[in-house]
Amino acid sequence: MTHHCSRPRPTRWLAGALLALVTSLLAPVASAVETARDHECLRCHAMSTLAYREPDSGEIRSLALDPQRLDHSVHAELACSDCHARGYGRYPHRAKLADEQLGCVECHADDPADATYRLDRIAEEFAASVHASSDHHKLRQFDCHSCHDPHAFRASQVGDDLGAIVRRDNQTCLDCHHRVTDPLRGSHAWLPQRDAHWAAVRCIDCHTPTTPQASHQILAAADSSKRCVACHSRDSRLREGLYRYRLAQDRAEHGWLTSLVRNDAYIVGMSRSPLLDALSLAILALVALVIALHGYGRYRLARRRKENDR
Amino acid sequence: MSTSPLYPLWLRAWHWYNAALFLALMVSGVSMHYAGTDWLLGFNQAVAIHNVSGTLLALGWIAFVLANLKSDNGRHYLPRPRGLVRDLWVQARYYAYGIFRDEPHPFHAGPAAKFNVLQQLSYLGAMYLLMPLLILSGLGFLLSPLLPETLLGISTLWLVAMTHVLTSYLLVLFLLVHVYIITIGDSLTANLRAMLTGEHGTSDDTQETDRHAS
Ligand code: HEM
Repeated sequence: MTHHCSRPRPTRWLAGALLALVTSLLAPVASAVETARDHECLRCHAMSTLAYREPDSGEIRSLALDPQRLDHSVHAELACSDCHARGYGRYPHRAKLADEQLGCVECHADDPADATYRLDRIAEEFAASVHASSDHHKLRQFDCHSCHDPHAFRASQVGDDLGAIVRRDNQTCLDCHHRVTDPLRGSHAWLPQRDAHWAAVRCIDCHTPTTPQASHQILAAADSSKRCVACHSRDSRLREGLYRYRLAQDRAEHGWLTSLVRNDAYIVGMSRSPLLDALSLAILALVALVIALHGYGRYRLARRRKENDR
Repeated sequence: MSTSPLYPLWLRAWHWYNAALFLALMVSGVSMHYAGTDWLLGFNQAVAIHNVSGTLLALGWIAFVLANLKSDNGRHYLPRPRGLVRDLWVQARYYAYGIFRDEPHPFHAGPAAKFNVLQQLSYLGAMYLLMPLLILSGLGFLLSPLLPETLLGISTLWLVAMTHVLTSYLLVLFLLVHVYIITIGDSLTANLRAMLTGEHGTSDDTQETDRHAS
């Protein structure tokens, strides 16, 4: 048998056929991912090995999606075609489709949620961030999707586990900045209990200016906060940021008792118990008073004794 | 000069080493607890001082326990169970009432017993209950990345923090009373001088104390 040569790109055609074969073999696996079964596209794109080689650079680009994450993302309700509208009837899809520009603002500009998220403000903050102002070659194509994978993204909600929020948020940064965790690099060596900090606070808690909502103005390393008391104090910036989730939840669920028994990490200087402090200081003051009176009594006695001696 | 002083050199050395570290820990600890207050130490500085002094204090405590096991100083901390309630009452009554009536001190320090029962109990509580809890919880802070996240459904770090802050408050309370009680001796500074020089004015000389009491 010889190959049919009427098609202009026989290799592509072959690849498509192979892909179809592999897909049909893997179909039971793909459809076993029950939650994503509505997405026809996932028959291929749920395969973790689905990828192509960039013709110019030779880089391998993944085309895979994690169906579970997609299912938990804000965009889970959308059909693939809501965003990826035209031209996907052909297999494999044409290369130029990969260049389509899908911004967040295009859809979200009229979104009622925009009132809370204020996309115009985000755009301003982003424009002022190192991610926009640096001319590092790796930042040439940096956009919203570089951090917010539209197939997985979900904003943190009141009620989410703090540790999970921190982990998910920081992973976004670490995807690129993985060298930060290299033990031989000293960029965070100044930070006491570095790993404990990394597990308990988000990168952006120090690497953005303080604003009521998470800022998209990522600061350069030199401009990032090294002020311990920014978090370790009564008016900790964590209350504005990370712990906003926690405080709202506390108030809703348990009321005042949670100020005594917490399930969160204790932050030195921030989460001290006002009740315990007041009680302890009152007891100390009381004891000091008793001691002072006792001492005064002994002093009077000694004076009386001296007078008697005379 | 007595052959076995009430306060041997090792004890005096430990005591002042311990006291100096405790003061450093108090100042730096308060600075961290009330971080952001202008007139306290800066947070970074306080953390450094606290970690170093805390570690040294822990080592000192281990030495103190070992030395008390090896020498016979340890027995001074154990109250006599027989007549404990009566002893307590007699001592407490003296501090609260008798002392103002110029009554004789019901207890005399000597080689057989250098602490009255209230001193015994407070030293026992401070050194063998509060200090270990304080040191263990301090160690818990230092090693917090290795701790499990929760213990019985409550954040382990929170439990560590509460233990640490509570025991430290109680030890400060102990210190307050301790520093006052030592002034109740043969003279205001007799005990202090004894802890500095090792010589106790009343050591096994009952006649001297009788003279004072009469
Ligand atoms: C500036 C602070 C302190 C001063 C002026 C001071 C003074 C004294 C004095 C004069 C004595 C001898 C009187 C007696 O035996 O009752 C003594 C004994 C003792 N002190 Fe302190 N002290 C201080 C801090 C501390 C601290 C922070 C601790 C423990 C946390 C401590 C634990 C003890 C103990 C266990 C003894 C009995 C030692 C023995 O004879 O076996 N002291 N102290």
